[in-house]
Amino acid sequence: MADMSGDREYVRLVSSDGFEYSILRSAAAVSGTLRGMLSQSSNFVEAKQNRVVLPNISGVLLEKVCEYLYYNLKHQNNPGNIPEFDVPPEMALELLVASDFLDGKHC
Amino acid sequence: MMSSGKSRVKMRPPRNRDSGDVNFDESWAVLSTAMQEMYRKNASRLSYEELYRTAYTLVLKKHAERLYNSFKTFVAQHLRDIVATELAPLASNTANSLLTSTIGGGGVTSTIAVPLAAADKREGGIRFLKAVKAQWDDHCLCMRMISDILMYMDRVYCKELQLPLIYDAGLALFRDHVIRNNEFQVGEHIYAIILDQIQLERDGDIVDTSAIKAAVLMLESLTEDKIDGETVYSRSFEPKFLRSSVEFYTTETEKLSRECDSSQYLIKTEKRLQEEYERAMSYLSVTSEPKITKIVEENLITKNIVSVIRSDASGLTFMIANDRLDDLKRLYRLCKRVDPEITDLRGALNARVIQQGAEINQDALEVLKHPDKSKGVTAQNAATAAAFKWVEEVLGLKENYDRILNGTMDGDNQIQTSLTNAFSSFINQMNRCSEFLSLFIDDNLKKGLKGKTEDEAEAVLDRAITLFRYIADKDMFETYYKTHLAKRLLGGRSISDDVERMMITKLKMEVGFSFTTKLEGMFKDMKVSNDIMQEYKAHVQNTDPERTIDLTVSVLTSTNWPVSLSTVESHTCVYPPEIERIKRSFEKFYVDRHSGRVLTWNPNMGNADIRVAFRKRKHELNVSTYAMVILMLFNDLADGESLTYEEIKAATSIPDNELIRNLQSLAVVPKTRILIKQPMSKDINAADRFSFNVEFESQYIRIKIPTVAYINKTETETERKGTMDKVDELRRYQTDAAIVRIMKARKTLEHNILVAEVTGQLSSHFHPDAALIKKRIDAMLEREYIERSAENRQMYHYLA
Repeated sequence: MADMSGDREYVRLVSSDGFEYSILRSAAAVSGTLRGMLSQSSNFVEAKQNRVVLPNISGVLLEKVCEYLYYNLKHQNNPGNIPEFDVPPEMALELLVASDFLDGKHC
Repeated sequence: MMSSGKSRVKMRPPRNRDSGDVNFDESWAVLSTAMQEMYRKNASRLSYEELYRTAYTLVLKKHAERLYNSFKTFVAQHLRDIVATELAPLASNTANSLLTSTIGGGGVTSTIAVPLAAADKREGGIRFLKAVKAQWDDHCLCMRMISDILMYMDRVYCKELQLPLIYDAGLALFRDHVIRNNEFQVGEHIYAIILDQIQLERDGDIVDTSAIKAAVLMLESLTEDKIDGETVYSRSFEPKFLRSSVEFYTTETEKLSRECDSSQYLIKTEKRLQEEYERAMSYLSVTSEPKITKIVEENLITKNIVSVIRSDASGLTFMIANDRLDDLKRLYRLCKRVDPEITDLRGALNARVIQQGAEINQDALEVLKHPDKSKGVTAQNAATAAAFKWVEEVLGLKENYDRILNGTMDGDNQIQTSLTNAFSSFINQMNRCSEFLSLFIDDNLKKGLKGKTEDEAEAVLDRAITLFRYIADKDMFETYYKTHLAKRLLGGRSISDDVERMMITKLKMEVGFSFTTKLEGMFKDMKVSNDIMQEYKAHVQNTDPERTIDLTVSVLTSTNWPVSLSTVESHTCVYPPEIERIKRSFEKFYVDRHSGRVLTWNPNMGNADIRVAFRKRKHELNVSTYAMVILMLFNDLADGESLTYEEIKAATSIPDNELIRNLQSLAVVPKTRILIKQPMSKDINAADRFSFNVEFESQYIRIKIPTVAYINKTETETERKGTMDKVDELRRYQTDAAIVRIMKARKTLEHNILVAEVTGQLSSHFHPDAALIKKRIDAMLEREYIERSAENRQMYHYLA
């Protein structure tokens, strides 16, 4: 499922208001949903284009999500001393829903 | 993760973009169309995200249950359609096809089932399997995709209610609507086809194993609901497979046992085992392997192996006789598979060895009874020859079986034990075994090992020891060996002292030194005698230098030497005065040195060199002591005079049997007629007259006159009885000693335990029978060495 060349490859996430964010494939794979969508073994359109459209997530939110994905990826290996992930309170609830949608296991 | 609530920012609920309730049917339509497209392999046109979000929304709106059930219905229907349209047509090609035909001209129509040609049927079968496999692969793929889309539902709804996940539900649906489809019996077809293919392969054809393997994998992936560990394979297919295999192998066993000889049978059995193993490992399930192997083993081996072994024409006996090592190896391997204790094989080997052993025993006894007179074999020689034959044959048999054991049966310990028991049994059945073995060794030490190197000699002795180990009554052997050794030592007939000692050492290693102390004592006596003779000779030089007769004496300690040598009565002899004089001289010499000892002269083991003047020339004769005494009588006779048997007997007091023997050697044996006998006949009678044969001639100056029948014959009946009696007496003493020893150590013992202990202690000498032990216990009770316990009649106390 995980692409072997995932380290270097980039995928694109598109928000509801048209913002496109380019992130590492391995970062995207932190989210179970995104991983499935982009997996090369599925035949869906997303996988072919390496591009996921998310019409229920705003640009601001999506940016925060991407930030989180990188944060998670960076600290995957040592669960000990990691810096806090800053979440602005007004975004908190929406972020929660989004992460539920995206099957972010580590939230 | 959230920052602490310092800043008082209002938390607003997320903007809800979905207005009101979602329309289930619309959403479902989207999803079901998508699933259709997936099945049609058009997934690339679909957006994962859209479908995922649709499902997500439905679940949020609490329509999960409906979604789940709709999914199931959809898939079920789809699968049924597939079966009807794709698989059913192919299925009919594998079944018997119905044709109508007209019989005769009478217009009678009847329907007959005509099987399709076998090849077509099989082709069809494989095609069907492949079609099912294709559908299965597609289905699995779609299920994965659907499972991805519906992942949210899986996570939230299924896990919560512990329902099967989408993927698993999909597999179960395949199982129920395709494999177990009642209308079209897809599953049954599959099983039948596979079994058919297996049968083909068993008959020797090549089949498409990849198709079968694919089908098996599919069956194995379909687990049964609510039954742990069971799959469609194990529940539906495997039992059929095993049943049909049992049928097949039952017939196969019959067929093979009818058509093949044992060797072929074993080869084919191994082949079948190999075949089934490979089949199970390569394209059936690995779990079936032990089951099918068991079926093959049970039928081909367990049920039938006894008749294979016992077959006269080609069974175990034949294989051994004809050195069929491969067959034996195979037989052993197969027997060991089903029965780690190989009872059947062991039993058969045991029986065969005992049979062959009995034959050997029988042959030896035959030679004894009917010696081959044409070859100049006398009754005595025959006995010796029988002994040799017996020993050689037994050793030969042993070597053969050793070869078989190590070469074909891996030196298996259980078989080793069986063989040892069998050998023990028939060897000890031959009640002259101790005697024969001793004769064998005796002959080797006298003649057979002459000129051999030390290693070769050792090899021969080792063989003898091998046989010795089997003999249960080792004390019998000891008796015979002592007698033979005595004759060898005294007659100077042993070819090498070193070899003799080697033998003693080996015996010591086998049974400990108590056995060999007497034997070693005999050697010591000889040495000591030698030393004494040196001294005596010096003494004679000093005291009686004019003496013309040289005397050499061997002084034997009577306890070491066989009993027969030391009884006094049978060895009377009146010596001529000259001999008597030197006898006394030696006695005095010896008693001076060792006061308190009593010497008894033993004339039947000695010999003398006499210079005799005949008319033609002088000869030096080597004769036995008795013969010398007889001849000396004729010194005083005038020419032409003679003596009767009675007169000779009166003058010499030599016992009858010895006298007859010696007279025979002097007067009857053709080449050495020192005396003339009247009448000339073989027997010696009381009235026969003997006179000196002054005309005697021979080309040799020095002649040895052996006493008739001096070679170690096997004992006559009376002698043997005598030996047995002595042995029995010894045994009684040994048993008594053992009983007292044990009781003294243990103070109190129960009867059975005492018997067991005694048997154990005596086992290295002989095998005591229970009656003997009981008798001796009674004797001990009488003599008050032990007493019965008052409370328990079975217990004994030691009396100090």
